[in-house]
Amino acid sequence: MKKIIYTFFAFLLFAACTKENNTTKVEPVVSKTVKDLPADTIIGITPGVPPLGGMPFGAGKYTFYSLERGVIVPSTDSATNKWDIAFRGTAIITNSGNGGPGAGGGFVFVGLFEDLKTIHSDSTFRTENIPTSYAIPFGSNRGWYVYDGLKNLVTPIPGRVLVIRTATGKFAKVEILNYYKGGVTPAATASDNVKMREQRYYTFRYSYQPNGSKSF
Amino acid sequence: MRFSGLIVGLFFGFTAAQGQVGKIPNADTLYGSANEIVVTATRTEKKLGNVAVPVTLISSKQIAQAGSVRLADILQEQAGLFITTGFGAGVQMQGLNPDYTLILLNGEPLVGRTAGILDLNRITVGNIKQIEIVKGPSSSLYGSEAMAGVINIITTTPIKNELALSARYGSFNTSDVNATFNFSKNKFTYQGFANNYHTNGFSLRPNSQTSFVTPINRFTQQHQLGYQISDKTKLLGSVRFNRERITNEIAVENNGVIVNSQGKESNDDANFSATLMHKFSNSVKTSAKLYATTFASEQELATTSGAPYTDYFKQHFLRFETQTDVVVSKNLETSIGAGYLIDRANSTRYDKRESTKENSVGYAFFQSEWKPLEKLVVIGGARYDHNALFAAAFSPKLALKYSITNKINVKASVGRGFKAPDFRQLYLNFTNTAAGGYSVFGAIEAQKIITALKGLGQIASIEQDYYSLAALQPEFSTGYHASFDYTPSQKHNVSVSLFYNNINNLIDSRLVAYRPGGAQIFSYLNVKTAFTKGVELNTNHKIGKYYLMSSGYQFLLSGDASELDKIEEGKVFTRDENGYSRRLYASEYVGLPNRSKHQFNLKLQYQKEQVFATLRALYRSSWYVTDTDGNGLYNTNDSKALGFVQFNATIGLPLTKNITMQAGCNNIFNYRDAINMPNFMGRTGFISINYSIKQSIEK
Repeated sequence: MKKIIYTFFAFLLFAACTKENNTTKVEPVVSKTVKDLPADTIIGITPGVPPLGGMPFGAGKYTFYSLERGVIVPSTDSATNKWDIAFRGTAIITNSGNGGPGAGGGFVFVGLFEDLKTIHSDSTFRTENIPTSYAIPFGSNRGWYVYDGLKNLVTPIPGRVLVIRTATGKFAKVEILNYYKGGVTPAATASDNVKMREQRYYTFRYSYQPNGSKSF
Repeated sequence: MRFSGLIVGLFFGFTAAQGQVGKIPNADTLYGSANEIVVTATRTEKKLGNVAVPVTLISSKQIAQAGSVRLADILQEQAGLFITTGFGAGVQMQGLNPDYTLILLNGEPLVGRTAGILDLNRITVGNIKQIEIVKGPSSSLYGSEAMAGVINIITTTPIKNELALSARYGSFNTSDVNATFNFSKNKFTYQGFANNYHTNGFSLRPNSQTSFVTPINRFTQQHQLGYQISDKTKLLGSVRFNRERITNEIAVENNGVIVNSQGKESNDDANFSATLMHKFSNSVKTSAKLYATTFASEQELATTSGAPYTDYFKQHFLRFETQTDVVVSKNLETSIGAGYLIDRANSTRYDKRESTKENSVGYAFFQSEWKPLEKLVVIGGARYDHNALFAAAFSPKLALKYSITNKINVKASVGRGFKAPDFRQLYLNFTNTAAGGYSVFGAIEAQKIITALKGLGQIASIEQDYYSLAALQPEFSTGYHASFDYTPSQKHNVSVSLFYNNINNLIDSRLVAYRPGGAQIFSYLNVKTAFTKGVELNTNHKIGKYYLMSSGYQFLLSGDASELDKIEEGKVFTRDENGYSRRLYASEYVGLPNRSKHQFNLKLQYQKEQVFATLRALYRSSWYVTDTDGNGLYNTNDSKALGFVQFNATIGLPLTKNITMQAGCNNIFNYRDAINMPNFMGRTGFISINYSIKQSIEK
């Protein structure tokens, strides 16, 4: 059951109402929250002991998501423009480069979700060149999360916004809120078993601008 | 027959406290009064009241009346000291980690730190005469590690022929037995001391297989010999052995699979020292000291599946040092000294057990104490340490004491402290084989190992910090201190001190690479700065003839200036109650983790001759433990351990002329926090019996 929150940005309404000469009318952009999106959840543990073995693994499949329609896209449609971002473990990819046939891309904006009102005109959208480079940099403290190897926990870094160009060249902004089931990170003292079972469930919020502009 | 009765008593589980219970103090003066002699602050014998740097003195009576058995027990009751757990009991002083406090036994350093922590439970207090604590950088006299301060444990010296036995028994089948034998004849003095400590350990978690305080057996013996060669020359020798044996059932969870195992651990210390002291004249004396110590630790973990895990660490430390003290004039005294030390370690934690890691240090120091005015004392000193393995360190210090009246003293000091990188930071080669599988490699090894792993295809990616790996530098601090001391009478004393420590070049672990499965590889870099600052307040009041009330308070702030700058620039975020990011306010920053802002203790004591009672309340405010919001620093949105008060009480009374008994209860209201303080015991009780027979020394 996905809980959907509709938020209207007051500043946009305000801008729309006060600027009488505004010829291109800006549609109010809706912010939506997605809960517990599974992203290649754990199905087993590799043989051997860490660091080379003993690592939890999933089926190795991405979960594809359409920001435009707000739905999970079946993996049979992975080679289409029907999806905009995909999740597998801590890796998040866009429908671009060698990641998909779309015209997508992305980068990480440091700041607040609300503060990103307009994507700066000279921003560069990166495209996928997996596994050498990802549009959203992959790894702890590089993109959207930090992994604490001692406590064995993944935490989304606050103040990181994923700026996404969708498969069809529209724009969206995404903030990852949590990586664990129910949107709650297990306690640092929780068992590794709990940390393993509950990980790879994304909670995130996003705004999608359907009119093709870079403003939200 | 009295003896056999006592021994039978011992076997039935009675115990005795330390040999000092029956000691009658000066009835009307405070503890640690100005006339007590201390050595640590200046490396020369000085009356506590005349020392320009801040010194705290803990007397054997205080230790005994608090019912302490291990060093950590008594230190945790002092203002401004926190006992940390994990790798044994360490001490946090002025907000600095245990790594930065030098622990001395009769002026000689103890070695054998695990992850920077010297386990204070290794040290029995059974034969301690006094503990001297000097806060603030003291590297100008003691070199590396004396960055936060120095704790010097002074053991008793024979003043009477004496046989003292004590035995104590308490909760969790904890026993502590001491025997001291002092003997003097003609020019010889001898002291033999033995202590045996045992506990069954305990766990706060119900049904837990693992005991957080492990079942342990410790045996310490120390022999001190003195020989007065002539009126002017004296020879002292001391040997000490300490052995620990630990066995524990451990349940390790590895990715959901619980592996039961049996752990065995042994820790052995040995210390040898020989000191020759000679007085050339009334104004010139010199000493030469040879000191050797070893620490060997071995842990074996036998599991139901797979090969046993062995961890071995052995350190050898050898030092020769000489010091000459000259009284130049009535107003000027100077000490000058030099030494050479060799430090060696072998460990399975490094590349291989057989390869010896070695560092050697040559050093020289001087210190002068000058009284330009009747009321003013100025101490200036410096030390130079030349290291074979890394950069040299220069540590100056300047201290002033001014007596406004004979009741009011002000002191101020500034000094530099340093800590040389340890073998772990240089050579560690550790991989955790539990979930996550992270590795930590020392700074010298990291590039070599990662290059080799890369050749084997076992490195997935390299992080930016890898390229910053370089030869480690010592960590440096500059400490400032100012204090005000008011002693209106022999019965009342109030002191306030302010301190500030600025630390540069802090060594911290950083992520440098990833393995293919995602396991992280860390190494050490000089990357951080930090500050700690605060206020310490101590009061002592003698009420009537028999009561003493004392209190101690520390207010502490800590942090990293670069983190504060980032917050001011609006580059640090946290999350609101909806989980959405928001900017962090500077007021939400809490500085370094595991530090309580407030610490307070209040002690009440009654003593009439050999009858005494104490009640001590110890409070610490909350402290932050985990960066839960993932912004890389600690703030009020992170998880914390709650503050608490602990109440401890003891009573003591004489049974016969030579026998006293004591009983006590610690943590009376049974405060526990299984998550944040798994080895903080609930309520415990003990009873002890002390027997002592003394004879004045024939001259």
